[in-house]
Amino acid sequence: MKKDELDMLVICKKCHTLHQKIEIHKDTKALCSYCNTVIYRYTSHLSRNTLALSFTTLILLIVTFLFDIMTININGVYKSLNLESLFIVVFGQGYYLVGIMLLFLIVIFPVAILISLILLLTLMHHKKSGYTVKRLLILIAKFHHWSMVDIFFISILVSMVKLFAYAQIELGVSFFSFILLLILDIIVIKKISFNELWILYESIYLKDNKK
Amino acid sequence: MNNEKKHKLIRCPICEAVNIDTEGAIQCRRCEENIYPKKNISYNQTIAFLITAIILYFPANLYPILITKQLGVIHESTILGGIMLLWQGGSYPVAIIILVASVFVPLLKFIFIIYLLISTKYNIKSSHMDKHKLFYITEAIGSWSMIDVFVVTILSVLIHFTAVKIIPGSGATAFALMVFFTMLSAHAFDTRLLKK
Repeated sequence: MKKDELDMLVICKKCHTLHQKIEIHKDTKALCSYCNTVIYRYTSHLSRNTLALSFTTLILLIVTFLFDIMTININGVYKSLNLESLFIVVFGQGYYLVGIMLLFLIVIFPVAILISLILLLTLMHHKKSGYTVKRLLILIAKFHHWSMVDIFFISILVSMVKLFAYAQIELGVSFFSFILLLILDIIVIKKISFNELWILYESIYLKDNKK
Repeated sequence: MNNEKKHKLIRCPICEAVNIDTEGAIQCRRCEENIYPKKNISYNQTIAFLITAIILYFPANLYPILITKQLGVIHESTILGGIMLLWQGGSYPVAIIILVASVFVPLLKFIFIIYLLISTKYNIKSSHMDKHKLFYITEAIGSWSMIDVFVVTILSVLIHFTAVKIIPGSGATAFALMVFFTMLSAHAFDTRLLKK
């Protein structure tokens, strides 16, 4: 089988059914015939849209990490939850392993993924350093499972329910930016379309190799 | 279309390109990463990570995940104890979320991975696609078990007074490690091993 023939095929990520690719209109998606999962999309202005969205997500991430997520009030004593207090308490109590895992899962991986996305899309836009772009794409593919910002948000909600009985809860700025962050995280990181990014990469950097 | 034609075709987990399966180690034609090691290596890796995770499942459930210090009185609660307290307190939805996320999800993952490992050695009557779907679900639900660890750390940050203190117990560390190893185990699994 030739390379071009393989390029015309696509395998569903969920049920591994083999499909022949067909041309689809702009901003539509192709679904698997067996399990109805999206197998590929055709997004117009993919790089520009993703670049803008990942910038927004990064800014929201920084805002979320800088301010208080919530403050509780127990008989006039206040305690607030933010990233700083989180790590001070966890590391202060000697839970280094949990602390390091938290640091990676909710800070380092999401930030690294977003910065890599911004960097690679900017490089793609200027058609420079193909090798770096490739490495960044591989890096994102390997680590995007490990970004757990969404799960952290659910955990915040669960702990709020647990605290309702004992304390008054005041929501902070970060809580609201977290909601926005969650939506963008799903659009940018969770639904990232690697296939399209790789096709874009090939069309920019591998033109000479193709007929 | 059928799953396999003349050639065995596989999907690159990194760039989603379709590759020809050559049985041994494979380098993807598009991203040039070594996407699959030799089959027996990934098989053994999956088993090793799975056993580690199963061993860690016991301390995670037996040791306290949450320690409450109230005026010098220490109260320890395990995952199941915490769920029971929530249930008695009337917050049923939260109790169910935690029960599903921290008790059922890890167990289901163990069962799914064991089932998939068995199905690579013996012929089990279930379709190839369903096995792939099962694997996809196993990978997708993996990270949800982290909820409990996150909740415990959030509570320990907020309830940190001189009179009352919540401290994460050693069960939390074991639990976090268990989730980590089950995720590694699922990632190491080679989908080419699934029989038709």
